[in-house]
Amino acid sequence: MMQTQKYSSTAITLHWLIALLIAVAFVVGLYVADLELSPWKLKILTWHKWTGVTIFLLVLLRILWRLSHRPPEMPAGMTALMKKLANLTHLAIYLLMVAVPILGWLHSSAAGVSVVYLNLIPLPDLVGKDKALSHLFGELHENAAWVLVGLVGLHVAAALKHQLVDKDNLLNRMRW
Amino acid sequence: MTRLNRVFAAALVLVASTAWSAGFVPDKSSLTFVGKQMGAPVEGRFRHFDGDIVFNPADLAHSHARIEVDLASIDLASDESESEIKGKSWFHVTAHPKAVFESTTIRALGGDRYEVKGRLMVKGITRELTLPLQVHRVGGLMVAEGSTVLRRTDFNVGEGVWADPDSVALEVRVNYKMTLKS
Ligand code: HEM
Repeated sequence: MMQTQKYSSTAITLHWLIALLIAVAFVVGLYVADLELSPWKLKILTWHKWTGVTIFLLVLLRILWRLSHRPPEMPAGMTALMKKLANLTHLAIYLLMVAVPILGWLHSSAAGVSVVYLNLIPLPDLVGKDKALSHLFGELHENAAWVLVGLVGLHVAAALKHQLVDKDNLLNRMRW
Repeated sequence: MTRLNRVFAAALVLVASTAWSAGFVPDKSSLTFVGKQMGAPVEGRFRHFDGDIVFNPADLAHSHARIEVDLASIDLASDESESEIKGKSWFHVTAHPKAVFESTTIRALGGDRYEVKGRLMVKGITRELTLPLQVHRVGGLMVAEGSTVLRRTDFNVGEGVWADPDSVALEVRVNYKMTLKS
């Protein structure tokens, strides 16, 4: 029986939407962390949080999709080791896509600043106010975001290698 | 009134008036607040404040409270926001290190509820204030607590770029809990 060679359009849409939003959240996060405290900073920081919470929700959907669907088989030309490495990287990216927003949320909660998603939905505070703890979560949030973006870089490099070196047209699987 | 009665009455007043006087317990008292930034609640507190409080339900005329708040002891979201709020646009603590509340009258509202009228001075500005108070006993201690909403701009707190209420709301809920020894 022929295994399907493409992801479903749901998976493809979630993949590219989340990729775009992570890039935006990362760049805006770095920008806002360097700003001096001002009304502008509070505004951008709030948008950063909303972007991050959106990513978190989309990632939960994506995990649900992944658990209920089988992705297409990896290209036949890949060695068992390469397949294992690819799977591990994907798993680590999933974990960090959940961890980074939660660490940001923890950072905000511990600062004593609640998150009200889109100014509509108040999210529960995950921990009580504790400035030192907030600082720690902030550092973890930053470091985890860098590791996430580093892994995404590796992921992109691997995809390009498939496309340009192996010429197995792997990217086609993630096209609508 | 017989002599004995007079002595007895005097003793009673003395006992009653020392009942809950002045024994302010700082580590069982708290002064917290909740404001809003970009529509999201933000909480903080003052670590240090001093209370000179005499509260006697049987003698409200001689009951009074003076609370001095060390504004530099504020606990806020981050070091950055703490140093900002101590600055000129907000509390300007180098010029006005303390906020002071001084009661003028205390009125019983029935049950365990009271109303304290007084003056609050912040950043050189004094305003009349009416504070609700609920009083209950815990072991040998008396706990008086309540909350009120202040408008920060009434005291010029948050000036210039910070005057915009969409960024930081003008209303701030202040929660006070003062614990007294007998
Ligand atoms: C995948 C989603 C997210 C990514 C990639 C991301 C990335 C980042 C980055 C790179 C920084 C800068 C760290 C630094 O250099 O100090 C940052 C800061 C921050 N993020 Fe996120 N973030 C995400 C989600 C969230 C969420 C969901 C929240 C809160 C609900 C949040 C709250 C914060 C806060 C409060 C800061 C600190 C800004 C400051 O220094 O004042 N982040 N984020």
